[in-house]
Amino acid sequence: MRLSRQIVRRSIGRIVLMSCLIVLLGSTLRAQQASDGQVVDKATLQLLMARIDQLEARVRQLEAERQRSITENGLAPNTAASLPESAAATPVPESTTSQTTAAAMSPPSNAQEPEQNQFENAMSDRMDISKTLLRIRGFGDISLHGDTRKGDTTSFSLGQLDLFVTSDVSDRFKFIGEIVFEAGASNYYGVTSGSANTFGVDVERYLLQYSHNDYFNISAGRVHTAIGYYNTAYHHSTWLQTTTGRPFLFDFEDHGGILPIHTVGVSASGFIPSGRLGLHYVAEVGNGRASRTPLVEEPVQNEIDDQNHKALNFAAFARPEAIPGLQAGFSVYRNVLAPANAPKVGETILAGHAVLIRPRYEWLNEALLDRHAVAGTSRVFNTPGFYSQVSKQFGDYRPYLRYQYVNVARNEPVFPDVALRHGPSVGLRFDASESVALKLQYDYTFLRSQACVSALNLQIGFTF
Amino acid sequence: MLRRLTAILIIVALAVWPQPEAAGSSARSSSAAAAEQGTATVPLVIVVNRSNPVNELSQAELRKIFLGSRSHWANGRRITLVMRDPSDLERKTILRDVCGMNEDQFKNHFLHGLFTGEILVSPKILSTPAGVRKFIFNVPGAIGYLRISDLDDSIKVVRIDELLPEDKGYKLHVLSQAGN
Repeated sequence: MRLSRQIVRRSIGRIVLMSCLIVLLGSTLRAQQASDGQVVDKATLQLLMARIDQLEARVRQLEAERQRSITENGLAPNTAASLPESAAATPVPESTTSQTTAAAMSPPSNAQEPEQNQFENAMSDRMDISKTLLRIRGFGDISLHGDTRKGDTTSFSLGQLDLFVTSDVSDRFKFIGEIVFEAGASNYYGVTSGSANTFGVDVERYLLQYSHNDYFNISAGRVHTAIGYYNTAYHHSTWLQTTTGRPFLFDFEDHGGILPIHTVGVSASGFIPSGRLGLHYVAEVGNGRASRTPLVEEPVQNEIDDQNHKALNFAAFARPEAIPGLQAGFSVYRNVLAPANAPKVGETILAGHAVLIRPRYEWLNEALLDRHAVAGTSRVFNTPGFYSQVSKQFGDYRPYLRYQYVNVARNEPVFPDVALRHGPSVGLRFDASESVALKLQYDYTFLRSQACVSALNLQIGFTF
Repeated sequence: MLRRLTAILIIVALAVWPQPEAAGSSARSSSAAAAEQGTATVPLVIVVNRSNPVNELSQAELRKIFLGSRSHWANGRRITLVMRDPSDLERKTILRDVCGMNEDQFKNHFLHGLFTGEILVSPKILSTPAGVRKFIFNVPGAIGYLRISDLDDSIKVVRIDELLPEDKGYKLHVLSQAGN
């Protein structure tokens, strides 16, 4: 019995010591926080709170053991109750791992259990260097596609398998990545490379984002160029999009797209103080796209720019409070392409958009002008393009309609193969579950000097 | 052909042109409907850490915060949004009356925002009022919501559109527990 009392007293003494330490540490931290809010971050506070929770649980456990011991050893309950409240504290040894501590704690059967577990997990994740703090969200799609183009066959197709990776590097730094596994050959400005049916891997986004406040965020790495709306709204996920694919105006570079969809460089963005108008800005500087034509390699200059001149892009848009879901804005992109053995080409892309996105409605409208001016001559090639897309949700069904248009001059020096193409698309999206969407889309495309193409696409898009 | 298609597109767009879905308008109607049905409601209060200098928010600011489009307080501290479990009435009230969304729409909104990089962090999910209180007490940039009966002095109540929960015209109300 004496031994049992000694154990209890020793345990109590440890808890008292640990409690004092925690209180001291807590008050010190709070004092630091008051004087300099930047010193103690949220994660640290969470860790400390988790530690306190563990200790509180340990106290409860030891108190229960003490009570049991008292009862077993015939001590009068009032004797135990007369012990000072502060004496009921035993520190948890520092060397104890978070897992064993958690196991030893025997979670209290009260309503705070889930929160406590969250804090424990957060702490163990943070402290265990063998674990990563990566979060991965996947997107994918599988299609059955057929069209009337000569030589095309009706095929099942695996779409892009998109792994969206994020990690909170610290309170203000965040990593964002998009790793895409994609089957099929690449098509850069009409030049096909690679072979069909083989998978390749592309790192489509790869950026470190620093968030200073709502008015200034800066990212470095490979980003989607802030030209228009669609390019930065949907990235590589078809599940997020209403339709089965992007408008051909915003097709990816390796799908024959005409725009510099990706840029490697630096991007700053944020609010512009404007009250209820809700103005935002994006300013980017980067390598731009490669100048060589014909181009059979990756046009996104991930590692080396083929010239010292840098591509610049500035975008501004408004999200007025008065009309929830409305976004209207413009962007201006400027670059100089320097093809080998050919005059330089000045590229200016002017884009404007007005979109209305609400939970049940969607109306996207974008127009742009891609202007190529050949240096030393008066030759200027203007490529206009636009699309308009509207959809409305009826329960799990969302019918949609899109009309798109792009017109590239016959002797355009950069992408002469695109030519004129325009036409409507109609489709129906059915959300089979909150993570799976089934889409059926019919496209009718008019082409310059070629037969019109009808296409039907059945697609299942999902996130996981 | 092009003109004809454009005309069709315009007609379709006009046909589906949405009526304004003003967030907050449903708050009055839900409170009023509850009153008409004789169902008791209690105010749902917006709470922040006591060190947060913010004392008042407009409904529009609240919507921006709960939709993640505003990610920092005026003092530069990052906003940490605290939400309850999807099954909780309080959460449903916030989604309906502040965000103007249902659960699926809210999830999609955050997924989309995180994907584009516009939203920095997803909400912290806590399942009990005590957990919410404790979290907000410990995280200076946190904001959440509680029934007025779950309040204590450890956290601070924020006025919404200059109104405190006990003021007439306060918009956020949740069915009382007895009415669940």
